[in-house]
Amino acid sequence: MTKKLRWRVLLIVLVVLGAAAGYVLMGYGHARKEWGTAPGGPSLKDALKSAIKLGLDLRGGIHLVLQVNTADALKAERDDAVETLKNQAKDAGLGAVELPTDTSFAVAVTAQTDATKLEEAVKRYLPDWTYSTGGGKWTFALKEPARRQMEDNAVSQAVETIRNRVDEFGVAEPLIAREGADRILVQLPGIDDPKRVKDLIKNTAFLELSLVESGPASEAALKSAYPGGVIPPQFKLVEAKAESGSREKAFYIVRKQAVITGRDLKNARPTQGQFGSHSVTFFLTASGSTKFGDATGANIGKRLAIVLDNRVQSAPSIKDRITETGVIEGSFSPEEANDLALVLRAGALPAGLVYLEERTVGPSLGLDSIKKGITASVAGALLVFVAMLVYYRRAGLNAVVALILNALLLAAAMSLFEATLTLPGIAGFILTIGMAVDSNVLVFERIREELRNGRAPKAAIENGFSKAFATIVDTHATTIISALFLLQFGTGPVKGFAVTLIIGLLISMFTAVFVSHTIFEVEYGRRQHIDSISI
Amino acid sequence: MEFFRQTNIDFLKYKWWAIGASWALIALGLVTIFVQKGLKFGIDFSGGTAIAVRFAERPDVDHLRRVLDGAGLGEIGIQRYEEADKNEVLIRVQQQKKEGRDVAGDVLRTLRQGLESPTDPSKIDLNAEGKATLGARLAAADPDKMAGRSDVNAADYYTQAAERVIARRSSLGLFKSPADVASVDGVSAPVKTWLQANGYTGPFVLLSAENVGPQVGADLQKKALLAVIWSSIGMLAYVAFRFRSLPFGVGAVVALVHDTLITIGLLALFGREFNLVVVAALLTLVGYSMNDTVVVYDRVRENQKTPKKEALESVINRSINQTLSRTILTAGATMLVVLALFFLGGEVLHTFALTLIIGIVIGTYSSIYVAAPIVVIWKDFKNRRKLAVVPAAPPVPATPAPAAPAQGSKKNSKRR
Repeated sequence: MTKKLRWRVLLIVLVVLGAAAGYVLMGYGHARKEWGTAPGGPSLKDALKSAIKLGLDLRGGIHLVLQVNTADALKAERDDAVETLKNQAKDAGLGAVELPTDTSFAVAVTAQTDATKLEEAVKRYLPDWTYSTGGGKWTFALKEPARRQMEDNAVSQAVETIRNRVDEFGVAEPLIAREGADRILVQLPGIDDPKRVKDLIKNTAFLELSLVESGPASEAALKSAYPGGVIPPQFKLVEAKAESGSREKAFYIVRKQAVITGRDLKNARPTQGQFGSHSVTFFLTASGSTKFGDATGANIGKRLAIVLDNRVQSAPSIKDRITETGVIEGSFSPEEANDLALVLRAGALPAGLVYLEERTVGPSLGLDSIKKGITASVAGALLVFVAMLVYYRRAGLNAVVALILNALLLAAAMSLFEATLTLPGIAGFILTIGMAVDSNVLVFERIREELRNGRAPKAAIENGFSKAFATIVDTHATTIISALFLLQFGTGPVKGFAVTLIIGLLISMFTAVFVSHTIFEVEYGRRQHIDSISI
Repeated sequence: MEFFRQTNIDFLKYKWWAIGASWALIALGLVTIFVQKGLKFGIDFSGGTAIAVRFAERPDVDHLRRVLDGAGLGEIGIQRYEEADKNEVLIRVQQQKKEGRDVAGDVLRTLRQGLESPTDPSKIDLNAEGKATLGARLAAADPDKMAGRSDVNAADYYTQAAERVIARRSSLGLFKSPADVASVDGVSAPVKTWLQANGYTGPFVLLSAENVGPQVGADLQKKALLAVIWSSIGMLAYVAFRFRSLPFGVGAVVALVHDTLITIGLLALFGREFNLVVVAALLTLVGYSMNDTVVVYDRVRENQKTPKKEALESVINRSINQTLSRTILTAGATMLVVLALFFLGGEVLHTFALTLIIGIVIGTYSSIYVAAPIVVIWKDFKNRRKLAVVPAAPPVPATPAPAAPAQGSKKNSKRR
């Protein structure tokens, strides 16, 4: 064996050992995390099993794409601006307010309006708004950069809120990421309660405690108390949470200005009432306590509506001044009470969410898919091995060794790069084996050709490898190009396929050319003269 | 063993027949798509809902349909999976007009209510509940009296028990009766007893549920189309760069478009659905077909380097013959693998594998009969135009092109 050849063999052995060690170490790392604090530790078998991260389609779990309804946040901003203007320019003598769109409003300007005072208030308190005058009113519009900023904030804040909720729920390795302008991708592996998690995420959890004017009654009955059936602007109509058993919808009229909102909450936890009913107890921040104390103290005897996501949960009478804590009662199930406390703790969403895409894979489907994927892979690989051995005899063995190394290195690379294996990924794995054969075939056919042309076996091997090399590079490059585009386009499982294919092809350059060539040299290199080779 | 020993087939002699056959296949596909009023898109692209559930016994599809008609979800398709013994069905619901409705949830609820005999509402459906809910219910009941112990976290303890129960359910397929809980390993007897007393077995387990909104579907359609177009452009650029020749690049890309069109057409003919996985298979195919073509082209380039003057057509013929053995062998090996996926890989990989089976056959054929002949035809055409402007030129013979003009074309390519 020449010195150069010895180095090559050593390099191959090191790469293989390194890959095997890396695979096992990664496996132990993952297995230990899964094992948690339970006594004992993962076995080698556990480690081998958990070295490669499985995608949702194999592991089970939920994939969600949500859209943030940023208009909600803009509307809230607009209402805030209207409120601010009313408060800050009180003595400017403002007229009626109109709300034509989500990002604009108009204020009627009458003869008594003090324009300078109004202007001053706008300059000072509404820096994000522009206005134009005309037609007897001032029309305000949100500035474009401010609007973009607000939409952006709403989405980031929604991402944060969802993350808090998911963390509280206790999901291992969740993925929560922003996608494009107003979308959020949520992937929760191992979750098999889709409905519960979806409700948990989507729950805006917007809590308001407002004083009740009238109700509960039907919509028509409540409206008829006002002239012309129009509810005055300082009040609003809110539907009550549907009681089980009654079909009739009930409504309340409450004050628009809430006493406290979810923002004043410090903590919340599920509690059990005296008759085994489930409720949620909340605790207020210092400033919230002051506000709540003042309002309840001044309104003893009146009723207070607990409004969650625009539904009245309950409307108890205020018996005494309350400061720090309160109870939300409703006919909750234990899970509902638990989840409501959770979302109240985690904070409200700044805007509503819509599910654009939702994929749930149950645990049994994942198990089935893995079993079938492995069976198909083993069968496919064995077929290829047999074909290579029958067709190329001893050289075929060479190819088989290269292919096995390819599979091993691919598995190690997937685990080291923490790439995710999906069901199409398994197909990519096995397809790589099929295509890696191509490089071997190209070389072997070339060697046979050289032998036919009367070259000596050793020269034939050398020529075979060198002549086939350019072609092998070309074939790999073309396939990698198409896989790169797949990577760009793909989502979830398809991306897994592209990743597997690309890594597999890169490895096959190494195994089919370098490893296979080295094996040939080890086999035939030391002999001075060879009469024939088995190919 | 050797299948092909120095073959010498005049492939290009049949090029016009081959082109005819290709057009016929393309036309067949296009007509199929036209008759079917467009491709049959899966929910990835069209939007909508697909839910797969497994029953204990062979489900009565008509009965399921009657139950689901009450949900007011519009058109509902119910299809039994091909593996008959699995008792699995796929339920498809069309795209709802109003986005945001929890269609999957509605379907499951309606099915449960319609199929279950009324039970005590406080009982737990052992086939439906997930780990978190089951764990919480166990923790609330605390059959193993864990609550007071300081060394064990009761919630974790019961979540682990729930996990084992669900793992057993997965390996059984589903629980047929609460008595099946007895076979769960690693769970204490009181927990099993509690589950048997407080649980019942619902009629099905959920395998998967997918719900794709119209916006996402439209986005994916656009993305898929762009991916195929861009990867074709990428290939054209690579081949044109590697071979410094436009006709080679064009030949390769025509072969690629040819393969894609025929494969899509045949998939439509076989009534297969067009979804994300099929697009992944098509893109793989683009790579594979190009791979095959490049091998032949590489050989042509190599053979052109020899000093001996030889007509392009004969160079190409020789190159195809020299690479024939490799072409067939690689196609065969890849086919073995893909066949394994087709027969053993399960439902999801079935269409993927079928796409590749069609693609490999067509791709192998096209690298011999489409990519190479186009180079010849392109160069013939250019020569003929050149000759046509020279008045004294000999009359241009009909196809196949004889040696003389082709030789000229070889000089042309050298001059570049």
